[in-house]
Amino acid sequence: MNTPERDREDGDGSLILVVDDEPPITRALGAALGARGYKTAIANNGEQALKLAALQDPAAVILDLGLPDLDGIEVLRRIRGWSEVPVIVLTAEGAEDRKVRALDDGADDYVTKPFSTPELLARLRVALRHRRRGGQVELDSPVHEVGDLRIDVAHRTVEVEGRAVELTPKEFAFLALLARHAGKVLTHRMILQEVWGPEYGTESEYLRVYASQLRKKLAEDPSRPRLITEPGVGYRLIARN
Amino acid sequence: MDVSVANLSKPRRRLLGLLAGLLLVAVATAPLLHVRSEVTGVTPALVLILPGIIAGFIGGRVAGLVSAGAAVLVLDLMFIEPYGTLDVHVTDDLVALITFAAVAFSVASLVEVATDRRRAAEQRAAQILALSEEKERFRREQERLSVEKQALEQIEDARRALLRSVSHDLRTPLATIRAITSDLRDGTAYDASTRDELLDLVGDEAERLDRLVANLLSMSRIESGALHPDVQAVDLDELVTEGRRRLGRVLRDVKLDAVLPADLPLVDADYTLLDQVLTNLVENAVRHTPPGGTIRVEAAVADGMVELAVIDQGSGVPPSERDWVFEPFNRGDASRSSGLGLAICKAIVEAHGGRIWVDDTAGGHGARFAFTVPVHQARIEAAT
Repeated sequence: MNTPERDREDGDGSLILVVDDEPPITRALGAALGARGYKTAIANNGEQALKLAALQDPAAVILDLGLPDLDGIEVLRRIRGWSEVPVIVLTAEGAEDRKVRALDDGADDYVTKPFSTPELLARLRVALRHRRRGGQVELDSPVHEVGDLRIDVAHRTVEVEGRAVELTPKEFAFLALLARHAGKVLTHRMILQEVWGPEYGTESEYLRVYASQLRKKLAEDPSRPRLITEPGVGYRLIARN
Repeated sequence: MDVSVANLSKPRRRLLGLLAGLLLVAVATAPLLHVRSEVTGVTPALVLILPGIIAGFIGGRVAGLVSAGAAVLVLDLMFIEPYGTLDVHVTDDLVALITFAAVAFSVASLVEVATDRRRAAEQRAAQILALSEEKERFRREQERLSVEKQALEQIEDARRALLRSVSHDLRTPLATIRAITSDLRDGTAYDASTRDELLDLVGDEAERLDRLVANLLSMSRIESGALHPDVQAVDLDELVTEGRRRLGRVLRDVKLDAVLPADLPLVDADYTLLDQVLTNLVENAVRHTPPGGTIRVEAAVADGMVELAVIDQGSGVPPSERDWVFEPFNRGDASRSSGLGLAICKAIVEAHGGRIWVDDTAGGHGARFAFTVPVHQARIEAAT
């Protein structure tokens, strides 16, 4: 997906805290992160993770939710009590409710085990980039470019490969929200509350309708989609390459 | 009598009451006739009021009224002059007769009201008793169902735990394998030693998967009752040596010290199954022995059985958990195991007619898992 040269650019010696109780996984991730210029700290349980997160001030945390001592979501909540450090959670297949809970409780993204390392690193880079830009600047930016997609918030226009696309206000708001967080998964609840209003949260069927309309208008190629459905969790907008 | 009468149906009770009333009128009349000239009209009247009451009591209003009617007739015919006719000549007698009739009829019908009330009260009492018995039965039934439900829930919980445990254990080595292979496929530049280490990890995890799958297959054979050891003469020394070679990577961080007596007899066992027991016990011992520690394997003969023991340097198994560890899916404190291994060991050892247990080591540190298998019985054809 990404070249190693590109990965190494991203590393620049930042410290990544890897939390997993399986030594083979932490060894594998340690090697992969090291090869891309990151430094790593390893924690095998929740208590150790909290201690290292506080003492070493990592640039990001990769957190397995199945820990022997504390629930991973509890670890996430406690970290969020004092830190905005990007957290990517590792979860088991089929635990959609856990993923949603982790995201709603402040995780930046999730990766399902067994995962591909390049994919995990791509998610890590997105989370680090969002955090580095401090969020606010990006949120206020009037134009978002995601691959061949250009969304001008000020003029409310959308272009796909240079071609203008007409969107309804809700479709526009939905797409603009995803574009503002390009590469990150947003849960159904996050999208509903942002686009429809704070009294919404469970009406994920609205999103299915709008997502399907958006895909038609953006002329999505199902084999190379930009708007990704994360089943049972939410949506993600990625750059089509 | 009261109880038996109460059990009769209403028409039968009425008939019985009627018969009793008429009989009593007749029975009372006979002696009264003898003394008719010696007593006043009051005596027969008083005596003849009784049949109506009794008939009413037994057979209800109709029986009572008919008996009272019979008594009035008899009183008039037999005890009020002129005898043998219904005529009444004396005013006193007429008043007496009318009064008697009124009293007899009212008493006979009042008796039924009282009897009905008593019967109704008795019926209510019986109903209440029956209801409370019914309630008690329901309560017991409910209790039984709740016990049954609990048992079913336990089975369901165990099944869920199995699924969780197995999927976690299958996925964990897969996660490492996928993480490393996807990383290498991505062309990440590693130095030779890191690359070797990563490839070794893939190998280790693949073997771990293999052992887990072997355990799962055995478990399903055990559960379906299809575990039939293919018994042959097995050399334990060979089994341990071969096992040590195969488990080389698992034993990377610990030392395996096997001290088997040179004159250890062969045992009667299924080689593959016995190998699985040893593998699971050694794997369990590695899990509980700190890096750099030593695992000992010992063997001795006693009572026609060979006892093989695997001794670790972990924290030991508390006496209260020593039976429990052989139950399926009881993984100890955050261990990297499906909790299947020891249960499979137990099933296999017992299928060979041996037993398996855990106790303290001689020094008091770590656990000593031991099992027995029968010494090989030389076949007759082999001896001749």
